[in-house]
Amino acid sequence: MGTLKILIVEDDPVTLSLLAKRLRKEGFEVETTHDGDDALRRIAGEPFDVVLTDLLMPGETDGMGVLENIKRLYPHTEVILLTGYISVESAVEAMKKGATDFLTKPINFDELIIRLNKIDDMRALIKAATDLRNAMEVTEKSAADTIQELEIMLSEFRSAFSEVRDALTEPHTHSQDRIDKALNILQPLVN
Amino acid sequence: MIKINPDEIKIISQYIYQITGIALDEKKAYLIETRLSGLIDEHGCKSYLELYHKAKQDAGRTLERKIINAMTTNETLFFRDHSPFELFRHKLLPELIDKRTSKSFPNSPITLRIWSSACSTGQEVYSLAIVLRELLPNQTKYNVKLLGTDISDKAIAQASYGQYNKFEIERGLDRDKLERYFHPNGSHWKIKDDIRAMALFKKLNLMEPFNSLGKFDIIFCRNVAIYFTLEDRKKLFNRIADVLEPDGYLVIGSTESLTGICPRFEPQRHLRSIFYQLK
Ligand SMILES: C[S@@+](CC[C@H](N)C(=O)[O-])C[C@H]1O[C@@H](n2cnc3c(N)ncnc32)[C@H](O)[C@@H]1O
Repeated sequence: MGTLKILIVEDDPVTLSLLAKRLRKEGFEVETTHDGDDALRRIAGEPFDVVLTDLLMPGETDGMGVLENIKRLYPHTEVILLTGYISVESAVEAMKKGATDFLTKPINFDELIIRLNKIDDMRALIKAATDLRNAMEVTEKSAADTIQELEIMLSEFRSAFSEVRDALTEPHTHSQDRIDKALNILQPLVN
Repeated sequence: MIKINPDEIKIISQYIYQITGIALDEKKAYLIETRLSGLIDEHGCKSYLELYHKAKQDAGRTLERKIINAMTTNETLFFRDHSPFELFRHKLLPELIDKRTSKSFPNSPITLRIWSSACSTGQEVYSLAIVLRELLPNQTKYNVKLLGTDISDKAIAQASYGQYNKFEIERGLDRDKLERYFHPNGSHWKIKDDIRAMALFKKLNLMEPFNSLGKFDIIFCRNVAIYFTLEDRKKLFNRIADVLEPDGYLVIGSTESLTGICPRFEPQRHLRSIFYQLK
């Protein structure tokens, strides 16, 4: 509930299973695959919030390829890159291509979890912000309509009351007639 | 993000109106774009029209459900506006219990049926449950049925799970209530089982018949009709009148009014709060 769905792409089976275990324990929904091509097929089938991918992988699609494809097709998915070492150049390139973050191996799990929780918070806040904006617009409109409705009613009452006053103070009229006339004016107001 | 064009706005708004009753005007293009762009990606659509056709063709209605989840505005908080819950605590509940006690056999439990008709992620329901728990410590004397419904199954799922993130928890709950009625669960907070057990959640579209739910003593219908057209609001409150006990109470949102909407209801005032009863 409110927690992220994560796909881990990692060719080293030991790292993969360690990561998956640890993230599941934190309450994340985790799926795994060991190559980039399969990752792209999986993402086409179902949406993920976060893809955690190793940078260097055998096969057609390496981590940078996974990143590029995801950002092109599913810009709402966050990508975190995992690498043995990271050169400044490749870090810059990754960020330019839209990576949310990168982490060096061996992975510091506490750090990873903090970053994932940040992503979770950010998503919750974005959803809350658009909801709040729309709710505010609709509520303001509703308040304006309600006020207008009440103002109209108030002015109807006001004019009816002054008619009633005139009717009741009309000179040279029998008091019963005055009362009847006043009641007539009030009649439509008390439905 | 793919832009929506004016023709698509018409088609999508009409579709959203059909499935939810929510009325959107052309000014809401930004809303359609931000809310549906995720689904556009997810389903590999090139345009909003394509998403619409996919949704119409999906016999299992999965995409329709997702569009409903995305398009509904679930903005809510615990004890929203405060005064309705004071009204509930100090006026509606005591008065209702009085009325029901005199009608029922001594020592037989008193049944109270309460409905939160667009409960979103559950904050309104749990706020009512907390008041009930505080006011009626002896729960065995009462048979309380607290029902929360909403059109969004995602919202209902969260309500039913009863778990909230730190932003949701911060809104409307003081430290004391938080610690008393919730327990921490990872980075989230979860409602305690005894409060959870007081409520029942169900998916329900208010545009469809709901008299099968039976009659209620108290109905909260807050901040949902404001998304509907005037005509639909009239019909809705008329149908709500049908499922309210003759001496029951209706509470609506603080910016709403039933003047000119449903003549079967009469406004009543208690301190600074307004509620409605059948004439
Ligand atoms: C702004 S929230 C109000 C929540 C709560 N009642 C409050 O006042 O804080 C509006 C809710 O109405 C729901 N809604 C919109 N159209 C609906 C419909 N046709 N039937 C039932 N619920 C609907 C939305 O899913 C959303 O959760």
